Formats: sequence, structure tokens, C-alpha cells
Amino acid sequence: MSLKCPVCGKLKKDPVDCARHMFGTGDKPHKAWFETQGLSYIDLLLSQATEPGNKAYIEVGELIARTQQG
Amino acid sequence: MTANTYSVLNTRVHNVDGYAKVTGRATYTFDVKLPGMLYGKILRSPHPHARIISIDPTEALKLPGVKAVVTGKDTLGVKQGIWRRYPELCDEQILTIEKVRYIGEPVAAVAAITEEIAEQALDLIDVLYEVLPFVDDPMEAIKKEAPMIHEGVERNVNVTRHIEWGDVEEAFEEAEYVREDWFKLGGQAHMCMETRATVASYTSDKKLTVYTSTQSPYYHQALLAGVLGLRESDIRVIAHYVGGGFGGKFELDASQFCASVLSMKLSKPVKIVFTREEDFIATKRRTPMFYYVRTGVKKDGTFCAREARVFTNGGAYTGMGATALYLTGFFHSFPYKWKAYRYDGYRVYTNSLPSSSMRGFGAPQAMFCSEQQIDWIAADLGLDMIEIRRKNAHTTGYEVPGQATIGSCGLGQCLDRIEEWIKARGTLPKNRAIGISAAGFMTGGIFNWFDSPYSFSSAVVTINYDGVVELHVGAQDIGQGSNTTLAMICAEALGVKLENIKVHSGDTDHCPADLGAWGSRQTLMAGNAVKMAAEDAKKQLLEFASAKFGYNIIYDLDIKDNWVHNVARPERGMHYADLVKEALRGKDGQRIIGRGHYTPHRKGMISPAYSYMVQAVEAEIDAETGKLSIIHCTTAHDCGQPINTLGLIGQLEGAASMAVGYGCLENMPVEDGKVMNPNLVDYKIIRAPNMPECEIIEIDTFEPEGPYGAKEAGEGLTNPTAAALGNAIFHATGLQMKQAPIMPEMIVNAFKEKKKEGGTP
Amino acid sequence: MEKQLLRFNVNDQEYELFINPKTLLVEALRDHLGFAGTKRGCDTASCGVCTVMVNGMAVKGCSVLAVQVNGMNITTVEGLEKDGKLDPVQAAFLDEGAYQCGFCTSGMIMSARAFLNETPAPKDAMEIRRGIEGNLCRCTGYNSIVRAIDAVAKGKYREGA
Repeated sequence: MSLKCPVCGKLKKDPVDCARHMFGTGDKPHKAWFETQGLSYIDLLLSQATEPGNKAYIEVGELIARTQQG
Repeated sequence: MTANTYSVLNTRVHNVDGYAKVTGRATYTFDVKLPGMLYGKILRSPHPHARIISIDPTEALKLPGVKAVVTGKDTLGVKQGIWRRYPELCDEQILTIEKVRYIGEPVAAVAAITEEIAEQALDLIDVLYEVLPFVDDPMEAIKKEAPMIHEGVERNVNVTRHIEWGDVEEAFEEAEYVREDWFKLGGQAHMCMETRATVASYTSDKKLTVYTSTQSPYYHQALLAGVLGLRESDIRVIAHYVGGGFGGKFELDASQFCASVLSMKLSKPVKIVFTREEDFIATKRRTPMFYYVRTGVKKDGTFCAREARVFTNGGAYTGMGATALYLTGFFHSFPYKWKAYRYDGYRVYTNSLPSSSMRGFGAPQAMFCSEQQIDWIAADLGLDMIEIRRKNAHTTGYEVPGQATIGSCGLGQCLDRIEEWIKARGTLPKNRAIGISAAGFMTGGIFNWFDSPYSFSSAVVTINYDGVVELHVGAQDIGQGSNTTLAMICAEALGVKLENIKVHSGDTDHCPADLGAWGSRQTLMAGNAVKMAAEDAKKQLLEFASAKFGYNIIYDLDIKDNWVHNVARPERGMHYADLVKEALRGKDGQRIIGRGHYTPHRKGMISPAYSYMVQAVEAEIDAETGKLSIIHCTTAHDCGQPINTLGLIGQLEGAASMAVGYGCLENMPVEDGKVMNPNLVDYKIIRAPNMPECEIIEIDTFEPEGPYGAKEAGEGLTNPTAAALGNAIFHATGLQMKQAPIMPEMIVNAFKEKKKEGGTP
Repeated sequence: MEKQLLRFNVNDQEYELFINPKTLLVEALRDHLGFAGTKRGCDTASCGVCTVMVNGMAVKGCSVLAVQVNGMNITTVEGLEKDGKLDPVQAAFLDEGAYQCGFCTSGMIMSARAFLNETPAPKDAMEIRRGIEGNLCRCTGYNSIVRAIDAVAKGKYREGA
């Protein structure tokens, strides 16, 4: 399902892609969003970069999907 | 190859230091003995992380023969680092005062009349530690609850780097095929044949002489001045012969620092030579890395986008680690044109030995990931491994957006020649295949992070009565043959025979400053300085010849092969040695002196020029044991104009031996902060029977930035081998190896995994 | 420990030393006799930079006590040159550029010399490679060294060649 980035509003084709976009831009506003959700950007980035499977993308994607649905 | 138009360049000559080396006359720091010399030993931390509560040397000082014990409290306590321009990266005290951050970190040093007594004294120094929780894995070190290794450095994130161009998201959307992979890259020890070694001699006239095994006498002169509170010019660094460097000997190390501190206390010479074990555990090593790579391409193989994220294990201190972090991300884009590229690098402190620079400087790690993934993408799409590279290869004039302009580039020709070579090899037996890797590398860096006020390279040419040339350079020969290469450039530029050149290097009292032998800079930078100095001297000489001959103003004079002549009528002239005598008299007995220097200005973000290569490694895999036999290694290589023919062959073969080690031999496990194999039995260096035959295919280009068109050769050559080896394994077995070095058990396990997944074993 | 008398021949010269019996051969040569050409590079008898010839045999000078070679003939790299003329192995190393930093070179040349004395006509390159297997070199990748040894074996440096 397509999702809007909660920070810049860009439309992404699915939750994982949206999460990938949020990690990827790496700018201050996008990073700050993680703090507002009680998440650590750097912890999630580390997990994504060092463990195959993109667990961080999936988790963050699901979170975004929930916040946009509810 | 085009015909050699040069008299000296690209000819087979004896290395100018060869005679000394083959007769055992070459004196290394290891050999230096001074009257009244004492021997120093270093007490090292057994803990990866601990506060130093107290150090009591009383019992050690009682031991007969012990002359002094020093700790950090006996020093200025300066936090130093080689990135002098950035104080936040100068984080290392060497003799640490408050706490230790890695096993092996120096806490005290002893000077005694014999090495044996100094070693015994170590056991008598009483150190009280408050052991702290430690973290030796960057994945753990970055967590919120991890122990803080350096005050104020949140999450132990030491340095971050970011490189980006184009619109990465858009470019990925344009891609028709996307692949992502995760890699783990190991560290590597420099393993120089001569371990770190220093003889420091302080005399009461406040002068310090330091014999040391160094890649840069000037750096050590300046760094020691900073930490000892001495005037730079009151320190003399001498390094006539150096037993290898490979990137590990241009930062300040404990042998230089501790020997100097002890010597200053006693006003006596002090010698410290690291044991092989110390050299393994307490020097800086190649940076281990975690690499995430995502690449998007079109179905026809055109590269669209790449996104890379890297976390490096920085160890306890920064050193050159900031540079390695940048260069790995930069060279990860090489040697291809990317519509969009993004790299994010994070360097994480851990309680293990510091990571820094080692031949290749982050590029071997980058290529292992990039070049293998490109082969896997090609296989996924049914594309040819040469064609996919050819399609996207750098070309002359290409601008790496915001980073670099590519000058000479022989990459296309390299690909062609390797393609031919592979075809000629024909069909190979089972479990044997050829893997390739392309690469491009810098020829010296433009960035003045050392904050030197001097030209990056300088040279002085002085011509004696008999025509012999005293060539003074600050460039350091560490075995790569820079003395010979620079002598050849000098001879060519001046127009004389090589035997006329005497090279002086390795002594800050007599040689001009030079940043030293690292980053593949000396052939281009010192070479340009030497060429300028020699041409300056030649110009002055020819003024006398012009006056003497009185030719019509339209004619040019030149010198070639010791013959001063009219270029239009070369049979008319005089012998160079005769001209020198006349010029000397004409200058009132003063020798002709030529001066040269070079500093890169406005050459992009990284380097004035880039070497290129494509390497093909033929390897055979034993499916049962996972052991690899490297059969052959062929490299099509573009270093612009080759200067030192034998030196180039030596660099190619030597780099291959080191890079094969990185690819499949030199495993360096660190557990709980401890290096598990700090000796030459357990740490595997390649030996003669396992070294493959190497072939070099020279590609002719001309690099305008380099002296006579020359570029680097020797460091870039460490970039492709591990990747090419990985690709050979892939083509022979289908296995995708994502960890370097590739150990036999990894291959065996990979075969097992493949069998489980139902693939053909 | 009580010192012991050691009498041996080094490079065609008789020497007498009064030394601690724990002294390694390489230490006796370097520190007592000043033959600094022979080096040390490890503590596990792994690297070979301390290689000398003992009664013509290539031996790691770190793996033998000096007193063990009492009465024997030692040759170090300094002893290869005869009357100002380089040994063929040394000349071949020069011609092939078979060294870079040079720290392993003394030991490598001694191993090469001993190997060729024993095997003047090696059957292939691999035999030469095995002949220097005990000597590590970090700089050259060994191939230039093999070429140098091969050139000597093929007679390139024979008198009048």
C-alpha cells in the first residue's frame, strides 16, 4: 500500500520503501522524526546496515503505516 | 606499447640502494647503536578498558641496571593525532594518563642497560587499575547503554562522512533491477619485516636526534615537536633505510614517543624495538568494516543508482581513520559513472587496537563489495562481466560530481586487454575459474589535514664539479624505490645518465620537508618537484652553453645522455661534464643549484590524478576443504608513464601478495579486545610456494598532472585482488562470499548451505 | 649463568667469544661480532630474516644457541662478497630487483645461496619456491626472487658467461 512520508509528504509505493526513504534522506527533519517516535535513528541505521534482511525498514514501515491508518 | 622516447625512464636499472641491500650494509633503525645507549621497554595495559588509579615504579627502579621509569604524568599529556587541523580528532596521548582504551596500550616505559633488564623491570611496575566495562564490537559500541570510550563522544560515533550526488531515490525508481547485499570486511596487519623501532638521543643542548622506521621523517619531526614541547627544527629525524611501512609508519607510535621521553629524562640515547607480538597488538591496523550496498541498474546493465552505508570498527583512537572512512566511500563509486550515488560512513570507537590506514586505504574493502555485487548483478541479468563494466566505465574528462575530474584514464583499454587474456586462457578445469575486478585509485591527496606550512614536496639539485648531482628530497624510500624513481626523473629532466645522480633522503637536517610515503603521492608530487628542480638547474647550465656557442637566437639547446647540444643539429655540442666546469668558473666557484616544489592546487576534493586497472585472478577451489589455490594473477594497468620498470613489476607482485592475503589468508580475529593470533605462526602471510605467477599488461596513457605523464603504481594494485578472488569463487562454484578474508571454513559452510537450499553442490 | 668460551669461524675468519650460553647465534653475530646484515623479525622462528649458513646449511640464527656452533663455519651475507666481487646470487638479486625494503634480503640471499649449493639445477620454479619457503617477504611477492635464483641456476652468472 502506498504511504506518504510523515515528514516531507513524498508518496512512496509501500511501507518498506517509505522507511527506506526516511533513512536515506538523512537530513535533520527526517532524523528528528525518529526521536518523536521514541526511536533511535542511529540504532536502527546500524541494524539495517549490518544485519541482512532490513528488519529496521520493516519495523519502521509498519509503524508509519499504523500512524497513517489510525 | 609505444616506443620509449626517453633515455632513462622506463628502463631496467639497478635500484640505487641495491648494492647496500644485497651486501647487508644497509643500516636500519633496528641496527642503530649509539655510545651509552640504553634499552627501553613498554608496559602495556592488560585490560581493554580501565581507569588508571596509580602507577608505582618503586620496585622497578630498585632493579640494578634500571635507569628510569616514565608514565604519562612525566609528559606534557598532549592529546595528539595526525589530523592536526582538527583538534577533536587528536585524541591519543600514547602514554595515557587517565584511562586505557585497548589491550596493549602503553602505560609506562622503562630504560635499562640491557633489553633483558628492561623487560624484567616491567613486571616490577605496580599498576592499579579500575577495570571498566568494555565494548569491542562496533554494533554494541553504538548502543545507548554502551560504555563511553572517549569523554563527550556520544554513542562512540567518532567520525561520520557523507558523499552524495544526483537524486538517489529518483534514480532507483528509474532502475529496472535492484540488488542489495551486506558484507563484513576484516582488518589486516601491516606486518612490516622491520617492526616499529626508534633510537632517540636527547642531548643537554636541547636537541633531539631520532632514528626511526618511518614513512615520513617530516611528520615525525613535527609530531614529536608537538608532544615534547620542542622546537621542530631542534629535532632531527633520520631514516636511511626503512624495513617496510605500508601505511602503518607515518603516525606517531609508542616507540618514538617513549624512547624520546626517556631520552629527554636521562640525556642518553634510548632504543625501543617492538617485538613481533607488540607490532601485532599495539599498532594501528587496516580498518574492519560493515558494508551495506544497494545498487540499481537498467536491464541492459547501465548503472543508475547506488546507496552504501558503512560502519567501521575504529578501535580506540582515530589516527588516519577519518581518511579511510572517506576514501572507502569515494572509491566505492570507482571506477564507474553513477547517475546518483549516496554514501554514509560512520566510524565507531571500540576498545580494541586502533584502525587506521593500510595500503589501499579503504579501497580494497570498497572493491570487495562493489566488484562482487556487479558480477552478481551481471549474472542475475544474464550480462557479460566485461561488457557491464565497459558500459559504465570512467573516461577521460568525466566529472565525478562534486568530487573529482578524471584526467588520463586507460580503463577501457584495460578491459579490452583482460577480455583478450581471458579468451586466450580457454576452458578451465572444474572448480577453477577466472574472476575480475576493475579499480581506480588516487595519486596523492590534496587535503592538508596535517596543516603543514610547507610545500607538499620539495627538491634541491646541486651539481658538483665532476657533473655528479646531489639530489636532496624529503620523499622517503620505504622499499617502494622512491630514491630510484626520483633519481631517474632527475636524470631524465637534466639530461644526464643515472649514475650521475646521488640521492639524499631520510634526514630532516639535510633534506627539505616532504609529506612522505603514503597515499601514493611521491611519484607524482615529489616527482614533479624533482623535475622542476632539475629543469631549473638545466636552464642555468644552458645559459652558459648558449653564451659559449653563440648560436642564432632561433636555436634551442638541450642536454641528453650527458651531451649538451643544439636540438636542430644534435651532433654539435659539448660534454655535460665540461659545461659544468665552465659554469662553475662562471659562477665564481659556486655550484649550480636548482629548486623545485609541488603542492596540488584546485585539483578537486581528492587527488590530482587517478590510476586505473583491471585484474583477473584465476583460482581453484577445493570443494571438500575450502582451500584456495591462486593459479595466476594478470593485471592490465594504467599508471600513465612508467618510470621505474623493475620497481613497477615489484609493486604489482608485492601488492598482489598483500592483497591475496587480505582476500583469503590474513584472518585477524579480535575477541574481548584481544588479538588472537599476534605471531607469525598463527597469522598467515603468503609464502613463496603459494604465490601465483603475475603478469602485467601495461596500458599507455599520459597524465598531464604527473611528471612525464606518470601516475601511482603500487597502492591501487591492492584494491582489486580480494574482489577478483571472490568473483573467481563465484564463477567456479556459484558461491557468493560476503566476508573477507575468505577462510576455507566459510567456503565449506557455504557449500553446505547451498546443498541445503537444494542447489547443486 | 657462567659464561662459556665459543670458538667458531665466521666468513673465513676465526673468532673467540666469551659469552652467556643463552646467547642465540644471531645475537652473537650481530651484537658481539658486529655483523649487522643478519636481522631479527619475530620470536617464533617463522620469518627467516635471521638465516645464515652453518657448515653450508641454511639455518635460522634465532633457533640455534651460539655455543651449539662451536667449531663450525658460519657464513653471513657479509661473507658472500669475495675480494670485492659479488656472489652470483647477489648480482642476480640486483639485476632482477629482487628486494624492496631489503630487511628480509640478507636472510633470503643466504637461503637462496644454500639452496643453490644443494640444488644447482632445480627442476622447476616450484622447487625454487620451496627452497625459500622459510623466508617471509612482505614487499616483493617472491616472484622476482625466484627469477633471480633461476637466472643463477641457468648459468647466467657463471665465470665467462
